[in-house]
Amino acid sequence: MIGKHQSRNMSNVLRVNNLCFSWGEIPVLENIEFSCKWGELIAILGVNGAGKSTLLKCMNKILQPQTGNIEIESKNIDDFSILELSKSISYVPQSVMTNFSMDVFDVVLLGRRPHISWRISDADRDKVSKTLQLFDLEDFAFRRFDRLSGGERQRVIVAKAVAQNPSLFLFDEPTSDLDLKNQIEVMKRIRHLVDDKNERKSALVAVHDINLACRFADRILLLHEGKVKAFDTPESVLNEQNIAEVFGVTSTILSATDESPMRVLVGDEIKFNAASIIKQEE
Amino acid sequence: MESISEKHVLNGRNQIFLIVILTICTFALALFSMGLGSSSQLDMFSTMNIIFDKDQFSCLFSFGTLGGSSTFPCNQDLQSQIVWNLRFPRIMMGMITGVALSTAGALMQGCLGNPLVSPLTLGVASGAALGAAFAIVLNLSFIPVPELAIVANAFLFSLIVVAIIIQLGNMRSVSAESYILVGIAITFIAGAIVSTMQYFATDAQLSQLAHWSFGSLSRPDLGNTIWIGLAILWILPTVFKWAWDLNTLSLGGDEFAISTGVEPVSTRRNILIISALMTSIVISFTGLIGFVGLAAPHMSRLLIGNDYRKLIPCSAVFGAFLVVFADTMGRTLFAPIVIPVGIMLSIIGGPFFMYLLLQNRGHAH
Repeated sequence: MIGKHQSRNMSNVLRVNNLCFSWGEIPVLENIEFSCKWGELIAILGVNGAGKSTLLKCMNKILQPQTGNIEIESKNIDDFSILELSKSISYVPQSVMTNFSMDVFDVVLLGRRPHISWRISDADRDKVSKTLQLFDLEDFAFRRFDRLSGGERQRVIVAKAVAQNPSLFLFDEPTSDLDLKNQIEVMKRIRHLVDDKNERKSALVAVHDINLACRFADRILLLHEGKVKAFDTPESVLNEQNIAEVFGVTSTILSATDESPMRVLVGDEIKFNAASIIKQEE
Repeated sequence: MESISEKHVLNGRNQIFLIVILTICTFALALFSMGLGSSSQLDMFSTMNIIFDKDQFSCLFSFGTLGGSSTFPCNQDLQSQIVWNLRFPRIMMGMITGVALSTAGALMQGCLGNPLVSPLTLGVASGAALGAAFAIVLNLSFIPVPELAIVANAFLFSLIVVAIIIQLGNMRSVSAESYILVGIAITFIAGAIVSTMQYFATDAQLSQLAHWSFGSLSRPDLGNTIWIGLAILWILPTVFKWAWDLNTLSLGGDEFAISTGVEPVSTRRNILIISALMTSIVISFTGLIGFVGLAAPHMSRLLIGNDYRKLIPCSAVFGAFLVVFADTMGRTLFAPIVIPVGIMLSIIGGPFFMYLLLQNRGHAH
C-alpha cells in the first residue's frame, strides 16, 4: 500500500506556504509549509489541539489564516469564490448534527449542489446512486439521516463529499465514530478514490490512529504544538523518537513485510513527561 | 442503481402531488368560507359566480378601487356587496397572511438551523407593536391620516428592527444564535416601552391597543389587500433561489454549508431581511398573528420533509389554509361573535406546538 502514488505531470494539487493562524493572541498554527501531489493521500497526525482541524479548515475558507498563502491547482484560494472552491475542495467534518433531517439520498445529493442551479438532472441522480453503492448505503437511501447511527451518518457525509467530485478531499477524522471493520473500509475507499487513474484526486486525512495512517497514507504530516514536526513517508516520520516527543508514549516499530504494512506498537506513557504533555493539551 | 434514482424521482412527484392537492383544498376552503356568514349563506357555485363575474374585474382594477375608494363592486346587489367588500378582502388577506408568515417562518427556521424560530423571533412584531402603541397612546405618527396612522407606524417601526438585523448581518462572523438573542432583546425592550405607555394610557387607548394585538383580518379593505398581495407576490419568487442554500444550511450548519459552496453569513443575512420584510408588511396591517409562522412550516415538514424546493411552496399553501380555516372557525363558531384570527390560531396552534415538543423529546440529537 505504501509509496504507490503516481507521479503526475502537473506537480501539486495543493501548496501551503508560511501559514499562520491564531485565535486572538493564542497561536494555533505557525509557519506551516507543505504540499500535496496529485493522487496523493496525506495523513495529518498530532495530539488533540495540535491544530489538525484548524489546518483543514484554513484550506477550505472556513477559517481565515492571518498570514500565508494556499494554492489549489496552482491558484491562490483568495481568488476562488466559495462556490468555485467547493468544486475543487470538499471538507468533510467530523460529524453533522441536524435539526432538520432529510433522506440519505437527499443528503448525498447536496454534494451536487455546487454543480446545479435548481433542477436535478439524471446525471446527478446517477452520480448519487453510484456513490451510495460505493459506500454500501443503497439500503439506507430512503431512511432519514438523523435516525442513523453515528458511524452510518459519518459514511453518508463522506459519500456526500465524494458525490461532490472535488480534486482534493479534506477529511477531519473520518473514522472517529466507526467500528474496526468500518474504519478500514472507509480508509480503503478513500485510498481507492485517490488511486483511481481516471480521476485526479488527492486527500488530506486527519486521523488519530497511527496504524491506519501507516497503512494507507503516502506521506504523513506530523503536527506538534502548531508546527510541522515532520513531513515525509510513514517510515521516516514514525520513529520511536518522534512518537515519544509528539504523543508522549513509548513505542516499538515493526517494519513493513510482504504480508503486512509497517506497524507501531504503542507502549506506556512516558511518566516524566506527563506534566509537559498536560500543559500542551491545555 | 437505476431503481434508487427512479424511486427518488417518484418521491419527488408524490410530494408535488401533495402540494397540488393542498392548494386545491385551500382554494376550495376559501370559496366555501366566502359563502359562510351571518347575513347570507351561499353555496360554492353562487360564490364563484359572484367572484368570477367578468364585469366586476374591469371594475376591480380601475383606479378607484386600488386607491381605496368604496365604489366597488359595480354590481350593487346585496350579495355582491357582502362578498366583495367584506368576505373577499378578509379571506384574501387571510391567505396572504398565511403565505407570508409561513414562508418567512420556514425560511428563518432553516437559515438559523433552529426549529423553534418563528417570524416573531427576530422582534419584528414587537417593533410593529411599539409603533402601533406610539400612534394609539401618544398620537405620534409618521403619517397624519388617521386611518393609516397605526399601520404606517407599525410598518416603520418594524423596518427599524429590519435595519437592526441588517446592521447585525454586516458584522463579521455573526452566528445564528446572535440573531435569536438580539431578537429576544428587542422583544424585551419594545415590550417594556409598550408597557410603560399602557401604564399611562386611558381606558379607550388600552382597549384599542389590546384589539390591535389580537390580530385580525378585518382591518385591511379591498384596496389594501390587493396592494399587500402584490407586494408579497413580488417578494416571493426571490425566495426560491435560496432553496438549495437553505437545504445545506439547515442540514449541516455553517461549516457544512461552506464545504458545499454556500456562503453562510451573507446568505443568512439576506434571507432574514426578506423574511422580516414579509412579516412586517403583513403584521402592520393585521396586528399580531404569529403562530401560523411556527406551526405551518412544521406541519409541512411532517408532510413532505425538509427539502426547501418543496417546503417553501408547501408551507406557503399550508399557512394560507390554516389562517383561512382558523378565521372561518373564529367568525362562524360563536356567530354573531367574531373571535380574532390571532386568538383562534393560537388555540389551534398551541396544542400542536406542545405535541411537537413532546414528540421530539425522544430523539433531540
